[in-house]
Amino acid sequence: MSRLPILSIMTWAPVLSALVIMFAARHRPLLVRWTAVVGTGISLVASLWVYCEYDRAAAGFQFHEELPLVPSLGISYLLAIDGISALMALLTSIIIFAGAFASWTVKERSQEFYALLLILVTGVYGVFVSLDLFILFLFYEIAVLPMYLLIGIWGSSGHVRPQGIFGWAMGRTGVGTKEYAAMKLTLYLLFGSAFILVGILALYVAAGSQTFSFLAFQSMQFDPDLQRWVFLAFYVGFGILAGIWPLHTWSPDGHASAPTAVSMLHAGVLMKLGAYGVVRLGMGLLPDASVDWAWLVGTIACINIVYGALSAMAQTDLKYVIAYSSVSHMGVVMLGAATLTVDGLNGSVFQMFAHGIMTGLFFALVGLVYEKAHSREIFKMGGFGSMMPGIATAFTIGGLSSLGLPATAGFVAELLTFLGAWSSEYQWWLFPGVIGAFLTSVYVLRVAKQIFWGPPSSDPHFENLPDARGTEWAALGILVFVLVLFGVAPSLAVNPVDTATGPLLQRVVGE
Amino acid sequence: MNPDILIALAPELALFALAVVVLLAGLAARARGSHVGRAALSEDAGRPAKANGAPAIGWLTLIGLAVIFGVTFLVPEGASLLGDSFLQDSLALFVKRLFIASAALSVLGSLTLQQQAFSRRSAEYHFAVIVSVLGMSILASARELILLFVGFELMSIPLFLLTGFLKREAVAPEAALKFFLVGTASSAVIVYGMSFVYGASGSTMLSAIPAAMADGHPLMMLGMGLLLAGLGFKIAAFPFHMWAPDTYEAASTPFVAWLSVAPKAAGFVAIIRLYIEGVGSAALVWMPAVAVLAGMTMVTGNLMAIPQQNIKRLLAYSGVAHIGYMLVGLAALSSSGVAMMLFYLVAYMFGNMGAFLVVQAVAQSEQSDGIDAYRGLAQRSPLLALSMLIFLLSLGGIPFVAGFWAKLYVFWAAIERGMYGLVFLGAVLTVVALYYYLLVARRMYIEAPPRTEPVPVPRLLGVAILACVVGVVGMGVYPAPWVTWAQRVASTLFS
Repeated sequence: MSRLPILSIMTWAPVLSALVIMFAARHRPLLVRWTAVVGTGISLVASLWVYCEYDRAAAGFQFHEELPLVPSLGISYLLAIDGISALMALLTSIIIFAGAFASWTVKERSQEFYALLLILVTGVYGVFVSLDLFILFLFYEIAVLPMYLLIGIWGSSGHVRPQGIFGWAMGRTGVGTKEYAAMKLTLYLLFGSAFILVGILALYVAAGSQTFSFLAFQSMQFDPDLQRWVFLAFYVGFGILAGIWPLHTWSPDGHASAPTAVSMLHAGVLMKLGAYGVVRLGMGLLPDASVDWAWLVGTIACINIVYGALSAMAQTDLKYVIAYSSVSHMGVVMLGAATLTVDGLNGSVFQMFAHGIMTGLFFALVGLVYEKAHSREIFKMGGFGSMMPGIATAFTIGGLSSLGLPATAGFVAELLTFLGAWSSEYQWWLFPGVIGAFLTSVYVLRVAKQIFWGPPSSDPHFENLPDARGTEWAALGILVFVLVLFGVAPSLAVNPVDTATGPLLQRVVGE
Repeated sequence: MNPDILIALAPELALFALAVVVLLAGLAARARGSHVGRAALSEDAGRPAKANGAPAIGWLTLIGLAVIFGVTFLVPEGASLLGDSFLQDSLALFVKRLFIASAALSVLGSLTLQQQAFSRRSAEYHFAVIVSVLGMSILASARELILLFVGFELMSIPLFLLTGFLKREAVAPEAALKFFLVGTASSAVIVYGMSFVYGASGSTMLSAIPAAMADGHPLMMLGMGLLLAGLGFKIAAFPFHMWAPDTYEAASTPFVAWLSVAPKAAGFVAIIRLYIEGVGSAALVWMPAVAVLAGMTMVTGNLMAIPQQNIKRLLAYSGVAHIGYMLVGLAALSSSGVAMMLFYLVAYMFGNMGAFLVVQAVAQSEQSDGIDAYRGLAQRSPLLALSMLIFLLSLGGIPFVAGFWAKLYVFWAAIERGMYGLVFLGAVLTVVALYYYLLVARRMYIEAPPRTEPVPVPRLLGVAILACVVGVVGMGVYPAPWVTWAQRVASTLFS
């Protein structure tokens, strides 16, 4: 093929810029940052191009690239993209591009920080565009591992005090510290990846065809019993990353402890990686099992929605509120997938995108607030709206999207998901979903009122705080723009996604 | 004498000759009083040893081992000698290269040891190493019970000596004694088992075992069971692993690096020879036993490693866990299972020896084997810390380093046999293993350094560490040739 390997360019550009940062830009902080911006910018342009050039009429997987790696085992570097992954790649690009700006103020060991961040992003792109399950797994590991160091070194700790009857034991393990959060997150996710690996190997051996190609597996009919337990393995493995209850507890700790850009990327994109894995590998390869297990996936998703929202209401630390809201919103994603309807699945994918953008925005804002006010305690802060109107406005727009106000991306996603739930086999799923939306408005509005629009705090620390400046505006502007754009014109995303979800569901429910 | 025999036996003969030469060189040096062995060992810890000032006997050993390593490639494969009791097949040559390569890495690492004993008694030290390698080589080729046992003893007795080599230090004799008692007890068990096997099969040849095993004579089963237990001691499998941490902790680190790899490989070869080669489907009787042994070994090793505060004890327990993973490959009792186990052995050699060599570098500078000695290593010596991280990730089984493929292939072989439960257990335990490996990584990368000056790495030790990094990363990025090689070796056992 003479065409430009655009997917490889998109995937590997961040790693190349990471290499430049490690070797060429040592000890030159500004160059480090601009290299990162250029690297992620290339990926952004590439993913935009792919997104626009994707042939919606033809549908299916496009932009194929293939290179045999280990022919004897059937491992090859096989990349291609369909409607779902095109949108996910675009999401990744937007978040990391904004994240590169949002990390501008990282001072300590900044070149290592950017290098690790960029390597991690390559892993994320790789998972979204790989069609070889083995390579997909390798990318998945790249996306998970740098997180340990990113949180462990540049994270923040000490906002949670262990209490209750296990307080002593929790104190011993270091609950609330960044080291604890980093270790917990890494172990949870690697635990999940062990499930995924066993599942992939089981499919490989069962297929007996000496290939790891997704397309080859897709054309096979696996034994229903095998499907059932492999689906569970994928569901648990990827589900941990997607934050399914009760395996979600790494996520609030991890997101609250992580530095801003890492929280953005992790909550914004990596959790989607989990949901994407369940949809792509679970539903895509194991159609019978996904019908069998729909009740489980949907029910746990409902628990996620309500439990996450209630937990978010109980938090006093701003970052934990956002982190628990992610757990709640990922419930919507999984619920949409479990409905096994086109509307629901479209809503699920749309919610992945919408939630990615708004969580990215939220974490960027929390990072800015913390940097200026040095506090994340909701009830100590107050009246910031008059001092930092830009941040306050952005937070409110994000919040409105989060609670599903029309004309924002969040509304479209929730509407589609609820439509799907209503027309699915389990109509009662609608109610936890709606309750979740209601609870979301309670905690979002409460936080917005307390911090930004309420009476000013009497604490002298919080006087004359500056608004966002310079590059910080870039991060906020991009995210708010996308959030509103996709809310006003949802067909931008729904059209390409539709080309992928339809055939996928056709295989699953055979309509 | 037939020249073919000489050619086929070339590695063993050369090892023997090298051992004699080293011993004589040591005597000559002592007689002349010129202290060849001591020639300008670096007296102070901070200064890297100059290549020309390193002990001559160590260099002699190193060059000799390198030459013999080359010789193994000239030996024709498949020669059967001495009345079929000695088989120079591709498996034997494969592990012999592993023995020699690991011994060479260990010798390279020990050239910069500072204790007086290593310079004063350099010839003894290297003589013992070479003789032990000779024992392993004989063991790897033995197709006869008595020769097998002779190989075992020839391998083990020098190991006891080497463990207690620093005899003036309080812990060394204790560890050596413990190792000696456990080792001789296991030897006794092996001999006892062999007597039953002989009684049931009526021959000391291993080739008589399959027929006797197929009969299912109870004495035969008893004998093979005892043999498995005895070999379990040698490879430190559960429940015979207790000696490993104590021995590792007290012995000199470069030696431990070798001790943790080569004798284990030798034990595995003995197991392959006894239980798999030519046995056919009768071997399946042992599958559940080996599978249970594998599972228990993985669990024990991984769980016991968690609370360790001494890096050598941690690596000892993690080594026990790795033995468990290799047993998983063995439990598959298939060609691919054996191949994947051999691949695992090579990956383990690079990863584990590399980690121990880094431990050596840090211990020399910090005078401590505690995990806390690694605090902030990434900011003091970024390259050393990166090497250690690579080794730990390889041991933990992370992609792009050798250990990942090793674990993957072993699981693969087990899944082909339908052992999903064992694979699942192993996969979950890799996460447990990553926990304690990451605890070390956390000290190196996240915690602040107590001091800022870099950890001095003697140049030769650095070369040895670099060799291990190259091995681990090379196998991780491009495993295909190693896999093909291991598969070719294993397939000869099942033809």
